[in-house]
Amino acid sequence: MNVILQTIRLQIRNSWVRPMFRFCLIVNPIMNTFFLYMMFLNSKETNFLAYVVFGSGLMALWGCICFSSIGDINRERYMGTLPLIYASPTSFGYIIFGKIVGNTILSMSAIVISYFTARIITRDRIQIGSPGYLVISLILAMISFSAIALCIAYLLMISRKTTLYMNLLEIPIIMLCGFSYPIEILPQWAQVIAKLIPITWVIKLIRMSISGVISVREYCKMFFISTISIVVCILFTWWLYIIIDRQIRVKATLEVS
Amino acid sequence: MKSFLKMSYLDFKGHLGPFQVEEFITLDTMYPFLSLVFYCLLASFAFQTNDLTKWVIGNSYLLCTNVCIFSLGSSFYGERCYGRIRSIICSPISKLQIILQKGFFPCLVCMLTTTLGFLAGGLLFRLPFHKINFGMYFLILLFAMMGACSLGLFLGTIGLLTDQMHLILNTMSFIILIFTGSNFPVTQLPICGRIISQILPLTRSIEAAKMIFTGYDGNRLFELLVGEFIVGIVYLLLARVMVYYAEQKAIKKGTLELF
Repeated sequence: MNVILQTIRLQIRNSWVRPMFRFCLIVNPIMNTFFLYMMFLNSKETNFLAYVVFGSGLMALWGCICFSSIGDINRERYMGTLPLIYASPTSFGYIIFGKIVGNTILSMSAIVISYFTARIITRDRIQIGSPGYLVISLILAMISFSAIALCIAYLLMISRKTTLYMNLLEIPIIMLCGFSYPIEILPQWAQVIAKLIPITWVIKLIRMSISGVISVREYCKMFFISTISIVVCILFTWWLYIIIDRQIRVKATLEVS
Repeated sequence: MKSFLKMSYLDFKGHLGPFQVEEFITLDTMYPFLSLVFYCLLASFAFQTNDLTKWVIGNSYLLCTNVCIFSLGSSFYGERCYGRIRSIICSPISKLQIILQKGFFPCLVCMLTTTLGFLAGGLLFRLPFHKINFGMYFLILLFAMMGACSLGLFLGTIGLLTDQMHLILNTMSFIILIFTGSNFPVTQLPICGRIISQILPLTRSIEAAKMIFTGYDGNRLFELLVGEFIVGIVYLLLARVMVYYAEQKAIKKGTLELF
Protein backbone atom coordinates (compact mmCIF):
# COMPACT_ATOMS: atom_id res chain seq x y z
CA MET A 1 0.00 0.00 0.00
CA ASN A 2 2.87 2.31 0.89
CA VAL A 3 4.46 1.66 -2.53
CA ILE A 4 1.23 2.56 -4.32
CA LEU A 5 0.79 5.76 -2.29
CA GLN A 6 4.40 6.81 -2.88
CA THR A 7 4.07 6.11 -6.62
CA ILE A 8 0.81 8.11 -6.77
CA ARG A 9 2.53 11.08 -5.10
CA LEU A 10 5.59 10.87 -7.33
CA GLN A 11 3.52 10.45 -10.48
CA ILE A 12 1.39 13.53 -9.70
CA ARG A 13 4.56 15.59 -9.28
CA ASN A 14 6.21 14.15 -12.42
CA SER A 15 3.14 14.67 -14.60
CA TRP A 16 2.61 18.22 -13.42
CA VAL A 17 6.16 19.16 -14.45
CA ARG A 18 5.52 18.26 -18.11
CA PRO A 19 4.20 21.23 -20.17
CA MET A 20 2.14 18.96 -22.44
CA PHE A 21 0.38 17.44 -19.44
CA ARG A 22 -0.42 20.91 -18.15
CA PHE A 23 -1.83 21.72 -21.60
CA CYS A 24 -4.07 18.63 -21.48
CA LEU A 25 -5.12 19.40 -17.93
CA ILE A 26 -5.71 23.17 -18.13
CA VAL A 27 -5.92 24.48 -21.72
CA ASN A 28 -7.77 21.47 -23.13
CA PRO A 29 -10.81 21.65 -20.77
CA ILE A 30 -11.03 25.44 -21.12
CA MET A 31 -11.01 25.27 -24.93
CA ASN A 32 -13.35 22.26 -25.02
CA THR A 33 -15.80 23.92 -22.64
CA PHE A 34 -15.91 27.04 -24.80
CA PHE A 35 -16.29 24.94 -27.96
CA LEU A 36 -19.06 22.71 -26.56
CA TYR A 37 -20.83 25.73 -25.07
CA MET A 38 -20.93 27.34 -28.52
CA MET A 39 -22.15 24.08 -30.06
CA PHE A 40 -24.94 23.62 -27.52
CA LEU A 41 -25.88 27.31 -27.23
CA ASN A 42 -28.86 27.02 -29.56
CA SER A 43 -29.70 23.41 -28.75
CA LYS A 44 -33.03 22.37 -27.32
CA GLU A 45 -31.39 20.54 -24.40
CA THR A 46 -32.77 21.95 -21.14
CA ASN A 47 -29.70 21.23 -19.03
CA PHE A 48 -27.15 21.53 -21.80
CA LEU A 49 -24.49 22.87 -19.40
CA ALA A 50 -24.20 19.37 -18.00
CA TYR A 51 -23.21 18.13 -21.47
CA VAL A 52 -20.79 21.05 -21.78
CA VAL A 53 -19.11 20.71 -18.38
CA PHE A 54 -18.96 16.94 -18.09
CA GLY A 55 -18.40 16.43 -21.83
CA SER A 56 -15.40 18.74 -21.93
CA GLY A 57 -14.11 17.61 -18.52
CA LEU A 58 -14.24 13.95 -19.48
CA MET A 59 -12.70 14.67 -22.89
CA ALA A 60 -9.79 16.40 -21.15
CA LEU A 61 -9.54 13.57 -18.61
CA TRP A 62 -9.34 11.02 -21.42
CA GLY A 63 -6.77 13.22 -23.22
CA CYS A 64 -4.59 13.23 -20.09
CA ILE A 65 -4.92 9.46 -19.79
CA CYS A 66 -4.05 8.92 -23.46
CA PHE A 67 -1.02 11.17 -23.45
CA SER A 68 0.24 10.38 -19.97
CA SER A 69 -0.97 7.18 -18.31
CA ILE A 70 -0.84 5.09 -21.48
CA GLY A 71 2.47 6.57 -22.58
CA ASP A 72 4.16 6.18 -19.21
CA ILE A 73 5.59 2.73 -19.91
CA ASN A 74 7.07 4.06 -23.14
CA ARG A 75 8.48 7.08 -21.28
CA GLU A 76 10.14 4.80 -18.73
CA ARG A 77 11.54 2.75 -21.62
CA TYR A 78 13.12 5.80 -23.28
CA MET A 79 14.50 7.09 -19.99
CA GLY A 80 16.05 3.69 -19.35
CA THR A 81 14.22 3.21 -16.05
CA LEU A 82 11.83 0.49 -17.25
CA PRO A 83 14.13 -2.47 -16.44
CA LEU A 84 14.88 -0.95 -13.01
CA ILE A 85 11.25 -0.70 -11.95
CA TYR A 86 10.49 -4.04 -13.60
CA ALA A 87 13.23 -5.85 -11.70
CA SER A 88 12.71 -4.10 -8.36
CA PRO A 89 11.44 -6.29 -5.50
CA THR A 90 8.09 -4.50 -5.58
CA SER A 91 5.65 -5.88 -8.13
CA PHE A 92 5.75 -4.02 -11.45
CA GLY A 93 1.95 -4.16 -11.47
CA TYR A 94 1.74 -2.11 -8.23
CA ILE A 95 4.02 0.58 -9.64
CA ILE A 96 2.10 0.92 -12.91
CA PHE A 97 -1.19 0.87 -10.98
CA GLY A 98 0.07 3.67 -8.72
CA LYS A 99 1.19 5.72 -11.72
CA ILE A 100 -2.15 5.41 -13.47
CA VAL A 101 -4.18 6.16 -10.34
CA GLY A 102 -1.99 9.19 -9.65
CA ASN A 103 -2.53 10.49 -13.16
CA THR A 104 -6.27 9.85 -13.03
CA ILE A 105 -6.64 11.66 -9.69
CA LEU A 106 -4.79 14.70 -11.06
CA SER A 107 -6.67 14.54 -14.37
CA MET A 108 -10.06 14.53 -12.60
CA SER A 109 -9.38 18.20 -11.84
CA ALA A 110 -10.11 18.85 -15.53
CA ILE A 111 -13.82 18.50 -14.65
CA VAL A 112 -13.44 21.20 -11.98
CA ILE A 113 -11.66 23.46 -14.51
CA SER A 114 -14.48 22.86 -17.02
CA TYR A 115 -17.04 23.70 -14.34
CA PHE A 116 -15.40 27.03 -13.48
CA THR A 117 -14.88 27.89 -17.17
CA ALA A 118 -18.58 27.30 -17.80
CA ARG A 119 -19.46 29.42 -14.76
CA ILE A 120 -17.31 32.29 -16.08
CA ILE A 121 -18.71 32.04 -19.63
CA THR A 122 -22.38 31.68 -18.72
CA ARG A 123 -22.61 33.04 -15.18
CA ASP A 124 -25.14 30.28 -14.75
CA ARG A 125 -25.39 27.38 -12.31
CA ILE A 126 -25.46 23.78 -13.42
CA GLN A 127 -28.46 21.97 -12.05
CA ILE A 128 -27.44 18.66 -10.54
CA GLY A 129 -30.43 16.47 -9.78
CA SER A 130 -28.75 14.01 -7.43
CA PRO A 131 -25.39 15.31 -6.09
CA GLY A 132 -24.84 12.27 -3.85
CA TYR A 133 -25.25 9.87 -6.75
CA LEU A 134 -22.99 12.09 -8.86
CA VAL A 135 -20.16 11.71 -6.32
CA ILE A 136 -20.57 7.91 -6.42
CA SER A 137 -20.62 7.99 -10.23
CA LEU A 138 -17.47 10.12 -10.38
CA ILE A 139 -15.62 7.72 -8.07
CA LEU A 140 -16.69 4.87 -10.34
CA ALA A 141 -15.58 6.96 -13.33
CA MET A 142 -12.14 7.29 -11.79
CA ILE A 143 -11.94 3.52 -11.31
CA SER A 144 -13.16 2.75 -14.83
CA PHE A 145 -10.79 5.25 -16.49
CA SER A 146 -7.90 3.78 -14.47
CA ALA A 147 -8.89 0.23 -15.43
CA ILE A 148 -9.03 1.09 -19.14
CA ALA A 149 -5.74 2.99 -18.96
CA LEU A 150 -4.09 0.04 -17.20
CA CYS A 151 -5.36 -2.36 -19.85
CA ILE A 152 -4.17 -0.23 -22.78
CA ALA A 153 -0.85 0.56 -21.08
CA TYR A 154 -0.11 -3.17 -20.79
CA LEU A 155 -1.20 -3.78 -24.38
CA LEU A 156 1.15 -1.06 -25.59
CA MET A 157 4.02 -2.57 -23.60
CA ILE A 158 4.56 -4.99 -26.47
CA SER A 159 4.86 -2.22 -29.06
CA ARG A 160 7.29 0.63 -29.65
CA LYS A 161 4.69 2.65 -31.55
CA THR A 162 3.05 3.92 -28.37
CA THR A 163 3.04 7.54 -29.57
CA LEU A 164 1.10 6.59 -32.67
CA TYR A 165 -1.46 4.50 -30.82
CA MET A 166 -2.04 6.99 -28.00
CA ASN A 167 -2.80 9.63 -30.63
CA LEU A 168 -5.19 7.26 -32.35
CA LEU A 169 -7.04 6.20 -29.22
CA GLU A 170 -8.28 9.63 -28.20
CA ILE A 171 -11.07 10.32 -30.70
CA PRO A 172 -12.56 6.80 -31.11
CA ILE A 173 -13.17 6.45 -27.36
CA ILE A 174 -14.65 9.98 -27.12
CA MET A 175 -16.86 9.17 -30.10
CA LEU A 176 -17.96 5.70 -29.05
CA CYS A 177 -18.51 6.25 -25.33
CA GLY A 178 -20.73 9.29 -25.86
CA PHE A 179 -18.74 11.88 -23.90
CA SER A 180 -20.78 14.74 -25.32
CA TYR A 181 -23.87 13.07 -26.76
CA PRO A 182 -25.92 9.99 -25.92
CA ILE A 183 -24.67 6.83 -27.63
CA GLU A 184 -28.19 6.21 -28.97
CA ILE A 185 -27.41 8.53 -31.91
CA LEU A 186 -24.70 6.11 -33.06
CA PRO A 187 -25.43 3.29 -35.53
CA GLN A 188 -26.48 -0.02 -33.97
CA TRP A 189 -23.14 -1.79 -34.55
CA ALA A 190 -21.25 1.10 -32.94
CA GLN A 191 -23.56 0.97 -29.92
CA VAL A 192 -22.70 -2.70 -29.43
CA ILE A 193 -18.96 -1.87 -29.37
CA ALA A 194 -19.60 1.11 -27.07
CA LYS A 195 -21.41 -1.09 -24.56
CA LEU A 196 -18.34 -3.30 -24.23
CA ILE A 197 -16.35 -0.34 -22.86
CA PRO A 198 -16.85 0.36 -19.11
CA ILE A 199 -16.57 4.13 -19.64
CA THR A 200 -19.84 4.16 -21.61
CA TRP A 201 -21.79 2.84 -18.61
CA VAL A 202 -20.12 5.23 -16.20
CA ILE A 203 -21.00 8.19 -18.43
CA LYS A 204 -24.60 7.00 -18.45
CA LEU A 205 -24.49 6.96 -14.64
CA ILE A 206 -23.06 10.50 -14.52
CA ARG A 207 -25.76 11.76 -16.87
CA MET A 208 -28.46 10.01 -14.86
CA SER A 209 -27.16 11.63 -11.65
CA ILE A 210 -27.15 15.08 -13.24
CA SER A 211 -30.69 14.87 -14.53
CA GLY A 212 -31.78 13.40 -11.17
CA VAL A 213 -32.18 9.77 -10.20
CA ILE A 214 -35.90 9.06 -10.48
CA SER A 215 -35.64 5.30 -10.11
CA VAL A 216 -33.03 4.06 -7.63
CA ARG A 217 -33.57 0.58 -9.03
CA GLU A 218 -32.57 1.80 -12.51
CA TYR A 219 -29.48 3.53 -11.09
CA CYS A 220 -28.47 0.39 -9.19
CA LYS A 221 -28.94 -1.70 -12.33
CA MET A 222 -26.68 0.63 -14.30
CA PHE A 223 -24.20 0.71 -11.40
CA PHE A 224 -24.14 -3.09 -11.37
CA ILE A 225 -23.46 -3.25 -15.14
CA SER A 226 -20.69 -0.65 -14.78
CA THR A 227 -19.07 -2.56 -11.93
CA ILE A 228 -19.26 -5.85 -13.83
CA SER A 229 -17.70 -4.29 -16.93
CA ILE A 230 -14.90 -2.78 -14.83
CA VAL A 231 -14.24 -6.13 -13.11
CA VAL A 232 -14.12 -7.87 -16.50
CA CYS A 233 -11.69 -5.22 -17.73
CA ILE A 234 -9.45 -5.67 -14.65
CA LEU A 235 -9.48 -9.47 -15.02
CA PHE A 236 -8.59 -9.13 -18.70
CA THR A 237 -5.74 -6.76 -17.75
CA TRP A 238 -4.49 -9.22 -15.13
CA TRP A 239 -4.49 -12.05 -17.69
CA LEU A 240 -2.71 -9.77 -20.16
CA TYR A 241 -0.10 -8.89 -17.54
CA ILE A 242 0.66 -12.56 -16.87
CA ILE A 243 1.10 -13.29 -20.60
CA ILE A 244 3.24 -10.21 -21.28
CA ASP A 245 5.33 -10.84 -18.16
CA ARG A 246 6.01 -14.40 -19.33
CA GLN A 247 6.84 -13.22 -22.86
CA ILE A 248 9.27 -10.61 -21.53
CA ARG A 249 11.06 -13.12 -19.32
CA VAL A 250 11.29 -15.78 -22.03
CA LYS A 251 12.27 -13.51 -24.94
CA ALA A 252 14.04 -10.73 -22.99
CA THR A 253 12.22 -8.10 -25.03
CA LEU A 254 11.32 -5.54 -22.34
CA GLU A 255 13.32 -2.72 -23.90
CA VAL A 256 13.25 -4.03 -27.44
CA SER A 257 9.62 -4.69 -28.37
CA MET B 1 11.51 26.82 -60.81
CA LYS B 2 13.13 23.40 -61.33
CA SER B 3 15.37 23.95 -58.34
CA PHE B 4 12.38 25.16 -56.28
CA LEU B 5 10.40 22.00 -57.09
CA LYS B 6 13.40 19.76 -56.43
CA MET B 7 14.09 21.34 -53.05
CA SER B 8 10.38 21.25 -52.14
CA TYR B 9 10.23 17.58 -53.01
CA LEU B 10 13.38 16.81 -51.03
CA ASP B 11 11.99 18.62 -48.01
CA PHE B 12 8.71 16.75 -48.29
CA LYS B 13 10.48 13.43 -48.80
CA GLY B 14 12.59 14.15 -45.73
CA HIS B 15 9.44 14.71 -43.72
CA LEU B 16 7.77 11.53 -44.97
CA GLY B 17 10.95 9.45 -44.70
CA PRO B 18 10.45 8.11 -41.16
CA PHE B 19 6.73 7.51 -41.83
CA GLN B 20 5.58 3.99 -42.59
CA VAL B 21 2.47 3.18 -44.60
CA GLU B 22 0.44 2.14 -41.54
CA GLU B 23 1.37 5.39 -39.78
CA PHE B 24 0.36 7.43 -42.82
CA ILE B 25 -2.96 5.59 -43.09
CA THR B 26 -3.79 5.80 -39.39
CA LEU B 27 -2.41 9.17 -38.32
CA ASP B 28 -2.80 11.22 -41.50
CA THR B 29 -5.96 9.61 -42.86
CA MET B 30 -8.01 7.67 -40.32
CA TYR B 31 -7.53 9.98 -37.33
CA PRO B 32 -8.62 13.16 -39.16
CA PHE B 33 -11.55 11.34 -40.74
CA LEU B 34 -12.72 10.05 -37.34
CA SER B 35 -12.48 13.62 -36.02
CA LEU B 36 -14.74 14.75 -38.87
CA VAL B 37 -17.26 12.01 -38.05
CA PHE B 38 -17.16 12.92 -34.34
CA TYR B 39 -17.82 16.63 -34.91
CA CYS B 40 -20.62 15.83 -37.37
CA LEU B 41 -22.26 13.47 -34.84
CA LEU B 42 -21.91 16.13 -32.15
CA ALA B 43 -23.50 18.71 -34.46
CA SER B 44 -26.37 16.38 -35.32
CA PHE B 45 -27.15 16.07 -31.60
CA ALA B 46 -26.48 19.68 -30.56
CA PHE B 47 -28.29 21.27 -33.50
CA GLN B 48 -30.91 18.49 -33.75
CA THR B 49 -30.50 18.14 -37.51
CA ASN B 50 -30.00 15.43 -40.08
CA ASP B 51 -28.70 17.79 -42.74
CA LEU B 52 -24.98 17.83 -41.91
CA THR B 53 -23.78 19.49 -45.13
CA LYS B 54 -22.35 22.57 -43.38
CA TRP B 55 -20.47 20.47 -40.83
CA VAL B 56 -19.05 18.03 -43.36
CA ILE B 57 -17.70 20.98 -45.39
CA GLY B 58 -16.39 22.85 -42.35
CA ASN B 59 -14.73 19.86 -40.78
CA SER B 60 -13.30 18.58 -44.06
CA TYR B 61 -11.43 21.90 -44.29
CA LEU B 62 -10.08 21.26 -40.80
CA LEU B 63 -8.55 17.99 -41.99
CA CYS B 64 -5.58 20.03 -43.15
CA THR B 65 -4.76 20.84 -39.49
CA ASN B 66 -2.59 17.73 -39.14
CA VAL B 67 -0.31 18.76 -42.00
CA CYS B 68 -0.63 22.56 -41.91
CA ILE B 69 -0.37 23.06 -38.19
CA PHE B 70 1.47 20.06 -36.80
CA SER B 71 3.81 19.15 -39.69
CA LEU B 72 4.58 22.62 -41.05
CA GLY B 73 4.43 24.11 -37.57
CA SER B 74 7.25 21.89 -36.42
CA SER B 75 9.30 22.15 -39.64
CA PHE B 76 11.90 24.67 -38.45
CA TYR B 77 11.94 23.07 -35.00
CA GLY B 78 12.72 19.79 -36.80
CA GLU B 79 15.53 21.39 -38.80
CA ARG B 80 17.12 22.49 -35.52
CA CYS B 81 16.84 18.98 -34.11
CA TYR B 82 18.42 17.47 -37.27
CA GLY B 83 21.26 20.01 -37.15
CA ARG B 84 20.40 21.62 -40.50
CA ILE B 85 19.28 24.99 -39.20
CA ARG B 86 22.77 26.54 -39.42
CA SER B 87 23.05 25.62 -43.13
CA ILE B 88 19.63 27.10 -43.84
CA ILE B 89 20.30 30.38 -42.08
CA CYS B 90 23.82 30.77 -43.49
CA SER B 91 23.00 29.89 -47.11
CA PRO B 92 22.71 32.87 -49.49
CA ILE B 93 19.34 31.66 -50.82
CA SER B 94 16.28 33.83 -50.11
CA LYS B 95 14.67 32.83 -46.83
CA LEU B 96 11.24 33.43 -48.31
CA GLN B 97 12.05 30.85 -50.95
CA ILE B 98 13.00 28.34 -48.24
CA ILE B 99 9.72 29.03 -46.48
CA LEU B 100 7.75 28.58 -49.71
CA GLN B 101 9.62 25.37 -50.53
CA LYS B 102 8.55 23.91 -47.23
CA GLY B 103 4.90 24.70 -47.91
CA PHE B 104 4.51 23.63 -51.54
CA PHE B 105 4.00 19.85 -51.31
CA PRO B 106 2.20 19.95 -47.94
CA CYS B 107 -0.27 22.35 -49.60
CA LEU B 108 -0.97 19.76 -52.33
CA VAL B 109 -1.31 16.99 -49.70
CA CYS B 110 -3.77 19.15 -47.76
CA MET B 111 -5.87 19.66 -50.87
CA LEU B 112 -5.94 15.92 -51.45
CA THR B 113 -6.75 15.11 -47.80
CA THR B 114 -9.53 17.69 -47.66
CA THR B 115 -11.09 16.49 -50.92
CA LEU B 116 -10.96 12.83 -49.87
CA GLY B 117 -12.32 13.68 -46.41
CA PHE B 118 -15.08 15.73 -47.95
CA LEU B 119 -16.06 12.94 -50.37
CA ALA B 120 -15.92 10.23 -47.69
CA GLY B 121 -17.82 12.39 -45.18
CA GLY B 122 -20.29 13.31 -47.92
CA LEU B 123 -20.96 9.68 -48.72
CA LEU B 124 -21.31 8.78 -45.04
CA PHE B 125 -23.70 11.63 -44.24
CA ARG B 126 -25.42 11.59 -47.67
CA LEU B 127 -24.56 15.03 -48.98
CA PRO B 128 -26.33 16.29 -52.11
CA PHE B 129 -23.23 16.17 -54.36
CA HIS B 130 -25.28 17.12 -57.43
CA LYS B 131 -25.63 20.65 -56.01
CA ILE B 132 -21.86 21.28 -56.06
CA ASN B 133 -19.93 23.21 -58.65
CA PHE B 134 -16.69 21.22 -58.30
CA GLY B 135 -14.64 23.80 -60.21
CA MET B 136 -15.62 26.44 -57.68
CA TYR B 137 -15.02 23.98 -54.83
CA PHE B 138 -11.41 23.38 -55.95
CA LEU B 139 -10.78 27.10 -56.44
CA ILE B 140 -11.92 27.82 -52.86
CA LEU B 141 -9.92 24.84 -51.61
CA LEU B 142 -6.77 26.16 -53.28
CA PHE B 143 -7.09 29.54 -51.58
CA ALA B 144 -7.96 27.89 -48.26
CA MET B 145 -4.96 25.59 -48.27
CA MET B 146 -2.60 28.37 -49.31
CA GLY B 147 -3.80 30.41 -46.34
CA ALA B 148 -3.61 27.47 -43.93
CA CYS B 149 -0.11 26.51 -45.08
CA SER B 150 1.04 30.13 -44.69
CA LEU B 151 -0.19 30.09 -41.11
CA GLY B 152 1.58 26.75 -40.55
CA LEU B 153 4.83 28.18 -41.93
CA PHE B 154 4.50 31.25 -39.73
CA LEU B 155 4.01 29.00 -36.70
CA GLY B 156 6.99 26.97 -37.87
CA THR B 157 9.25 30.01 -37.73
CA ILE B 158 8.21 30.58 -34.10
CA GLY B 159 10.05 27.30 -33.52
CA LEU B 160 13.27 29.27 -34.01
CA LEU B 161 12.51 31.23 -30.85
CA THR B 162 10.95 28.73 -28.47
CA ASP B 163 11.14 25.07 -27.52
CA GLN B 164 7.47 24.89 -26.49
CA MET B 165 6.13 24.14 -29.97
CA HIS B 166 3.86 21.25 -28.85
CA LEU B 167 2.04 23.65 -26.57
CA ILE B 168 1.73 26.35 -29.24
CA LEU B 169 0.61 23.98 -32.01
CA ASN B 170 -1.96 22.17 -29.89
CA THR B 171 -3.42 25.48 -28.70
CA MET B 172 -3.49 26.71 -32.30
CA SER B 173 -5.39 23.64 -33.47
CA PHE B 174 -8.07 24.43 -30.85
CA ILE B 175 -8.16 28.08 -31.95
CA ILE B 176 -8.73 27.00 -35.55
CA LEU B 177 -11.44 24.56 -34.48
CA ILE B 178 -13.29 27.21 -32.49
CA PHE B 179 -12.80 30.43 -34.43
CA THR B 180 -13.03 29.48 -38.11
CA GLY B 181 -16.78 28.85 -38.07
CA SER B 182 -16.43 25.23 -39.09
CA ASN B 183 -18.84 23.94 -36.45
CA PHE B 184 -20.97 26.93 -35.47
CA PRO B 185 -21.54 30.36 -37.02
CA VAL B 186 -18.87 32.96 -36.31
CA THR B 187 -21.69 35.39 -35.41
CA GLN B 188 -22.26 33.36 -32.23
CA LEU B 189 -18.83 34.38 -30.95
CA PRO B 190 -18.26 37.43 -28.74
CA ILE B 191 -16.79 40.49 -30.48
CA CYS B 192 -13.15 39.64 -29.64
CA GLY B 193 -13.77 36.11 -30.96
CA ARG B 194 -15.08 37.54 -34.24
CA ILE B 195 -11.93 39.64 -34.58
CA ILE B 196 -9.77 36.53 -34.04
CA SER B 197 -11.80 34.65 -36.65
CA GLN B 198 -11.14 37.40 -39.21
CA ILE B 199 -7.37 37.20 -38.83
CA LEU B 200 -7.34 33.41 -39.23
CA PRO B 201 -7.14 31.59 -42.54
CA LEU B 202 -9.98 29.16 -43.40
CA THR B 203 -12.75 31.36 -41.89
CA ARG B 204 -13.50 32.99 -45.26
CA SER B 205 -13.01 29.86 -47.35
CA ILE B 206 -15.25 27.78 -45.10
CA GLU B 207 -17.94 30.45 -45.49
CA ALA B 208 -17.36 30.47 -49.25
CA ALA B 209 -17.48 26.66 -49.47
CA LYS B 210 -20.75 26.57 -47.52
CA MET B 211 -22.16 29.09 -50.00
CA ILE B 212 -21.71 26.58 -52.83
CA PHE B 213 -24.50 24.50 -51.35
CA THR B 214 -26.80 27.31 -50.32
CA GLY B 215 -26.46 29.40 -53.50
CA TYR B 216 -23.88 32.15 -53.79
CA ASP B 217 -23.48 35.79 -54.62
CA GLY B 218 -20.49 36.21 -56.97
CA ASN B 219 -19.33 39.50 -55.43
CA ARG B 220 -19.37 38.12 -51.91
CA LEU B 221 -17.49 35.02 -53.04
CA PHE B 222 -14.84 37.15 -54.77
CA GLU B 223 -14.52 39.30 -51.64
CA LEU B 224 -14.01 36.19 -49.48
CA LEU B 225 -11.38 34.70 -51.78
CA VAL B 226 -9.45 37.96 -52.01
CA GLY B 227 -9.60 38.23 -48.21
CA GLU B 228 -8.28 34.67 -47.85
CA PHE B 229 -5.46 35.40 -50.29
CA ILE B 230 -4.43 38.56 -48.41
CA VAL B 231 -4.45 36.69 -45.07
CA GLY B 232 -2.19 34.02 -46.60
CA ILE B 233 0.26 36.61 -47.95
CA VAL B 234 0.35 38.44 -44.60
CA TYR B 235 1.25 35.21 -42.77
CA LEU B 236 3.99 34.45 -45.30
CA LEU B 237 5.47 37.92 -44.80
CA LEU B 238 5.19 37.50 -41.04
CA ALA B 239 7.07 34.21 -41.38
CA ARG B 240 9.85 36.03 -43.25
CA VAL B 241 9.97 38.76 -40.60
CA MET B 242 10.13 36.11 -37.90
CA VAL B 243 13.11 34.38 -39.57
CA TYR B 244 14.87 37.76 -39.82
CA TYR B 245 14.15 38.45 -36.14
CA ALA B 246 15.43 34.97 -35.16
CA GLU B 247 18.61 35.58 -37.21
CA GLN B 248 19.24 38.91 -35.48
CA LYS B 249 18.59 37.41 -32.08
CA ALA B 250 20.88 34.47 -32.83
CA ILE B 251 23.68 36.83 -33.95
CA LYS B 252 23.39 38.83 -30.73
CA LYS B 253 22.90 35.98 -28.28
CA GLY B 254 24.19 32.92 -30.12
CA THR B 255 21.02 30.99 -29.35
CA LEU B 256 20.07 29.75 -32.83
CA GLU B 257 20.34 26.12 -31.83
CA LEU B 258 19.16 26.64 -28.28
CA PHE B 259 15.73 28.17 -28.91
